[in-house]
Amino acid sequence: MHAFALLGYFQSYQLSWSYLFDQLVAGVTLGSLYGLMAIGYSMVYGVLKLLNFAHGEVFMIGAYIGYFVLVALGGALSPAVPVALLIFLMIAAAMIGSGVLGVAVERFAYRPLRKARAPRIAPLISALGVSFCLQQLASIFFTTQYKQYNPFGLSGGTLTTPWHLGSFEMSWMQVFVILMTAFFMLVLWQLVTRTQIGRAMRAVSFDLEAASMMGIDVDRVVVFTFFVGSALAGAGGVMNGLYLSNTWPQVGFTVGLIAFTAAVVGGIGSIPGAMVGGLAIGLLKSFAIGYWSSAYQDVIVFCILILVLLIRPSGILGVPAPQKV
Amino acid sequence: MSDSTPIVDAPVHDPEIGADEWVSRSGDRTTRRGGLIGRAEHELMRLPGTIRFFAFFGLLALIPVMTSDDYLIRIGTVTLVFALLALGLNVSVGYAGLLDLGYIAYYGIGAYGYAMLASSKFGVHWQAWAAIPTVVGATVVIGFLLALPSRRLSGDYLAIVTLFFGQIFYTLAVQGYKVSLLGLNKDLGLHSANWDVTGGPNGIANVDGFRIGSTTAITDHAYYYITLAAVVLVFAALHFANNSRTGRAWRALNDDTLAAQVMSMRINWLKMLAIGVGAGVGALAGTINGALLQGAFPDDYNTYVLITIYAVLILGGAGSLSGAVLGAIVVTVGLEALRPGTEFSDWTANGRGLFYVTILIVVLTMMRPWRRVLAVLGGTVVFGILLHVIIGAAWPRGVHGGILNSASTFDHGGSMGWAIRHWLVLPAGTFQTGGYTVFNYLVVLLIAMILGLTLLKGWMRDALLVPTIWLAAEVYEARLIEEGSGATRFLLLGAGLIVIMAKRPQGLLGKPRVEIV
Amino acid sequence: MTPLLQLGGVSMAFGGLQVISDLDLHVNEGEIVSVIGPNGAGKTTLFNLITGVYQPRSGDILFAGESIVGLAPNQITNRGIARTFQTLRLFLNMTVKENVMAAAYGHTHATVVESMLRLPRARREEKAINALAEEKLAFFGQRLMGYRWNQPAYSLSYANRRRLEIARAMAAQPRLLLLDEPAAGMNPVETHEITELIARLRKEGGYTILVIEHDMHVVEGISDRVVALDHGVKIAEGTFEAVATNERVVEAYLGLQTTETK
Repeated sequence: MHAFALLGYFQSYQLSWSYLFDQLVAGVTLGSLYGLMAIGYSMVYGVLKLLNFAHGEVFMIGAYIGYFVLVALGGALSPAVPVALLIFLMIAAAMIGSGVLGVAVERFAYRPLRKARAPRIAPLISALGVSFCLQQLASIFFTTQYKQYNPFGLSGGTLTTPWHLGSFEMSWMQVFVILMTAFFMLVLWQLVTRTQIGRAMRAVSFDLEAASMMGIDVDRVVVFTFFVGSALAGAGGVMNGLYLSNTWPQVGFTVGLIAFTAAVVGGIGSIPGAMVGGLAIGLLKSFAIGYWSSAYQDVIVFCILILVLLIRPSGILGVPAPQKV
Repeated sequence: MSDSTPIVDAPVHDPEIGADEWVSRSGDRTTRRGGLIGRAEHELMRLPGTIRFFAFFGLLALIPVMTSDDYLIRIGTVTLVFALLALGLNVSVGYAGLLDLGYIAYYGIGAYGYAMLASSKFGVHWQAWAAIPTVVGATVVIGFLLALPSRRLSGDYLAIVTLFFGQIFYTLAVQGYKVSLLGLNKDLGLHSANWDVTGGPNGIANVDGFRIGSTTAITDHAYYYITLAAVVLVFAALHFANNSRTGRAWRALNDDTLAAQVMSMRINWLKMLAIGVGAGVGALAGTINGALLQGAFPDDYNTYVLITIYAVLILGGAGSLSGAVLGAIVVTVGLEALRPGTEFSDWTANGRGLFYVTILIVVLTMMRPWRRVLAVLGGTVVFGILLHVIIGAAWPRGVHGGILNSASTFDHGGSMGWAIRHWLVLPAGTFQTGGYTVFNYLVVLLIAMILGLTLLKGWMRDALLVPTIWLAAEVYEARLIEEGSGATRFLLLGAGLIVIMAKRPQGLLGKPRVEIV
Repeated sequence: MTPLLQLGGVSMAFGGLQVISDLDLHVNEGEIVSVIGPNGAGKTTLFNLITGVYQPRSGDILFAGESIVGLAPNQITNRGIARTFQTLRLFLNMTVKENVMAAAYGHTHATVVESMLRLPRARREEKAINALAEEKLAFFGQRLMGYRWNQPAYSLSYANRRRLEIARAMAAQPRLLLLDEPAAGMNPVETHEITELIARLRKEGGYTILVIEHDMHVVEGISDRVVALDHGVKIAEGTFEAVATNERVVEAYLGLQTTETK
């Protein structure tokens, strides 16, 4: 085994390759979830130049929808349908539910402000209000207790028990999350580059006024953007619940902040950038937890954010936007 | 009707292109409220600002003289602390237009900083005249440092960085009871494996009151006056700053950053300065809070408090110092009135009075002809009674429940209680098991109806308003009133922010802004 | 005598689009020089380069003999260059007087603490800034005086807004004024006033002026010298008569003359 002489405080267990691999896999898994959420932030910012603080809440609602579908179908220990179908239904329901919620938030909290040409700060404050309201509603309805997904009970625990590849281990749950995310990215990429509405979205991101004057229905594009971004976040919420085994009303807020950082790090406004940023942050966090301490993981992410802003504010894949005077 | 003497600072509400003086003043002539209230308001605004300032704060100073109820003094002090906080936030958000979402951290650093300098935590017991400036100064520097990385970037980045910082502060405060040098304390030969810096979730207790020489401030009265003095001084200082080259530069940078820079203003420095000044004021409020509570506890400096401060400023009017103070009064008193089980809320019967009065005010101000108002309110009463009778006939248990009378008792609550119980449908055993779920769905229905109201117009909107008001009361009495100490208050706060932005983004006392998008 | 403003070999591009190519331009102290050219010729970009909003890809810009390339816009303004904008950029929510007072930031020094405590320097400067603003606004007759001082800028008419922008630029106490299409959107009476105003600016204010204008009446009325740009290249320079009849200039505006129709 190699000795990692970083700062000289590793115990021997932590020096192993397999431990490194564990952190790597955990990081990619976590990063995928962050990336899915970061995409929503990036898309909305690209189209409306708005920081959608309420985005974390659609993640949270997605997680709860997934939970309730799970419970309705019998729970993790005795599901009424095969596990694969169960998970599919949970994700599908969460995507639809979150997507609709995202669209509703846009329709009632942001669009009136856009139409009334309200000051720039207004939608930001409104977003804070929406985020807060949704969290409180979740607390009232679902109580503040953590809702347990109990993924360990699913199909007798096969999904969460790690399997071994030599001395390296992974779990099916991690593989699932990573593959699912890759699948979503593929579909999204097709959607954005090949379809009419995807092109319209990119046009609006570039210049909203010009796009609307070219006959693009900006409102429809905005609805589409919010729906897709929120649906992805909803899927992320369910997978987060399955992976980390529980959900609670404030989960969206905490994950949201990290995902936001990921979007900025990767280049806000860029979809691949959001995923890259998510993976980067996920890996960083995982290594921080694994090799340092889990208490200060967020502090490390914050320092990374500051660093990126100092060195390359447009992010990894972002393009510095020229300002027309 | 027109005045021959020009009114200085006459508010003009819409841009009027190519108009002359008389025409351009028509705006305030038509928007001035008629009748007695309008006259009173107009005369009040005629008095020079200085007189209004001293009169208002003089009145506030007399409150502890007029009442000896300690509870009220306490509320007053809390209100003044929030006013102070809002004044500080006004510098970055109101003047410079920078969204500083980490403001809560400065407040917390002020409190913790003071606690570390004036308690038995580290055995250091500084006096107020040394501790306060030190803490405030250090926080100003922290504010500058925080604004440094994003000074060249758009305000959105600053929002993210500051928001994150606020969360980091909370994390550090809660985790700060086992701080070590990368876990190497023992290896470095230090005595303890880690240090307890912030007291963790329990915070720092036994913090000294403000001490100068041998006098220590202990009573509620003392802190009321200390906070009042702080508010007065900061208000005046910020007023002067606003009318100086710095204040104009801040407001210019808010209106058009590029033009400001081309017109000789150092915008990067100005942004940092705005955040820094705000941080200083926040820290000052923190030291006061620390001395007042005789402790520094993390949950006094979390996101809920941040949202409350923002609500205070936004409601009162960002950009307006008087708005900050007014907002503090409205929000603090309102939240307190909604909290069940306190003396204050007993007056308003657990916020019930506040709730119904607010609905009345909203309906009265939003609808003009009194016939319409009567029709809607009357319809709501009739609707409720009908529903009550029908459901009562079909399912008697469904209407025999009580209403929440104080923190924990449900009973028949006097005459107002009688009226409410016969107007709403309150099933027996509502607050005990089994009552919840249907009301959860009703809350969702209520939200859907409120959203629907924003989509409708004319008589259809009035028609929908009737069941909506009834349902709001129903949900409140049966479900939300119980949550008054927690989620409901903050739910209303969040909803309030959304509504203010939609209806009146400039708040109560702010000026409507014109922006080129 | 060294020119007050001197551009040498200045080039600027946005990505692949070359906006200004190898431009030489100079303005002597006390001159009024007009820059003309069809839309997209790079005129406003020129102003943006001079005021530091953009950085040139190559070439140098000298003001009073010193290079100002790479300086921040506020530093350049403090050196003595002020401008107005083609699409007005006033501080709409501030009053008329405050707009003008704001531009005095660069040549005053009272810190925020001094202002909060109303220390002598702050009070002195405040009085001086006040007087300066009133003086500059008085330049425009009664239009921006009296009750107008305390009205928000968004309540002004279009022509008054243009005047206010000029007043604001004056308050920065520059040596060189850059006026970007000062007569845009004005009717003939107002245009005539602007022409007179620019002449007065030089005569009474002592400013050196570089003007971008489309309205040839204005250009004719005020210019000592005219520079014509097209697609970022200088195509003519000289007196108004010389430039106005220059073949390339005519071609740039009206297109190439082909065979005459019978």
